[in-house]
Amino acid sequence: MAGDEGAEIYEEREESMDAAVDKETEIKTEGKEDENVLQFLDSLDGYLTLMDSVNSKLREGWFDLASARHSMGTLRINSTLLDLKYHPAASTFQVTDQEVGSLGSVPRFALSKWVSKGGGSPKGKDFSTDTDSEIGSPLSQQLRHRGVSEKPSAKDENTLAADEEIKKERAKSLSVFGGLVSPKLRGAQLSFETALETLVEIANMRASMLSAFERITEK
Amino acid sequence: MAGRAPIPARNSALIAMIADEDTIVGFLMAGVGNVDIRRKTNYLIVDSKTTVRQIEDAFKEFSARDDIAIILLSQYIANMIRFLVDSYNKPVPAILEIPSKDHPYDPAHDSVLSRVKYLFSAESVSQR
Repeated sequence: MAGDEGAEIYEEREESMDAAVDKETEIKTEGKEDENVLQFLDSLDGYLTLMDSVNSKLREGWFDLASARHSMGTLRINSTLLDLKYHPAASTFQVTDQEVGSLGSVPRFALSKWVSKGGGSPKGKDFSTDTDSEIGSPLSQQLRHRGVSEKPSAKDENTLAADEEIKKERAKSLSVFGGLVSPKLRGAQLSFETALETLVEIANMRASMLSAFERITEK
Repeated sequence: MAGRAPIPARNSALIAMIADEDTIVGFLMAGVGNVDIRRKTNYLIVDSKTTVRQIEDAFKEFSARDDIAIILLSQYIANMIRFLVDSYNKPVPAILEIPSKDHPYDPAHDSVLSRVKYLFSAESVSQR
């Protein structure tokens, strides 16, 4: 009798432990689903915000291009002048498979701008979605100080050299329109470069959104 | 993700563009233009004389190439080949729809947003 009671108590305890484990698993699953939904909504919001940003940058670019066409003439800025001889792209992309938390593997896009292919190692700048890697010479942003000036370090010299290469590549890109071009055309070039950087961010946001969407609809 | 083949890493990949003249010229100034040894370009300029067939062929060719990471389409051009764009479901190359000078961006027609909008529809809510 005592043995039967003991067995019953043991069985009841086992059942309650199983129920507790099941509940814990259910809570964890719901937590993961909520995480996926939040990730999806964040990506969707980011996607729409970036699309708005690229829209305004493109408008600036089109406006500057139209202004340049107005000052230089229609015949000097049109698609018939485009270089159809063999040449590689100066700005290229890298695609890698990245593990992102609960989303699993997601493609990640990165941009390398103005990578010189003319012999030697590429001297362009890598652009990722980090705000630190914006184009621009760091030296030009330093304050001038009177007195003893510091010798440029090797890193600064490399940065200067890279900036010079980028200037050359930019000028080469505009050279199809002639030796002297309107400042508006240079402005258009910068606008489209910025739009390109934003498009890379959009591609990453799109990948993240689709990945979260697939996770949500898997259930 | 379970069951999905890993995405092969691509270095020095290109962006392909199917858009109007000004958009193409602008992005070419940004340094993304590529012409290979066979004089094939990574862009198609669409004007009044370009046929839908040419756009479809260009899209199919770009989406099949291994050296392309992103395909950029003006949204009004994507609308001409909407069936083809919406039925494309590979992660790479990524298809991005952008506005053009004369046709503003419409989120309702974006293929990515169309795919996910069913999450917000009344039917999907009632099924849960």
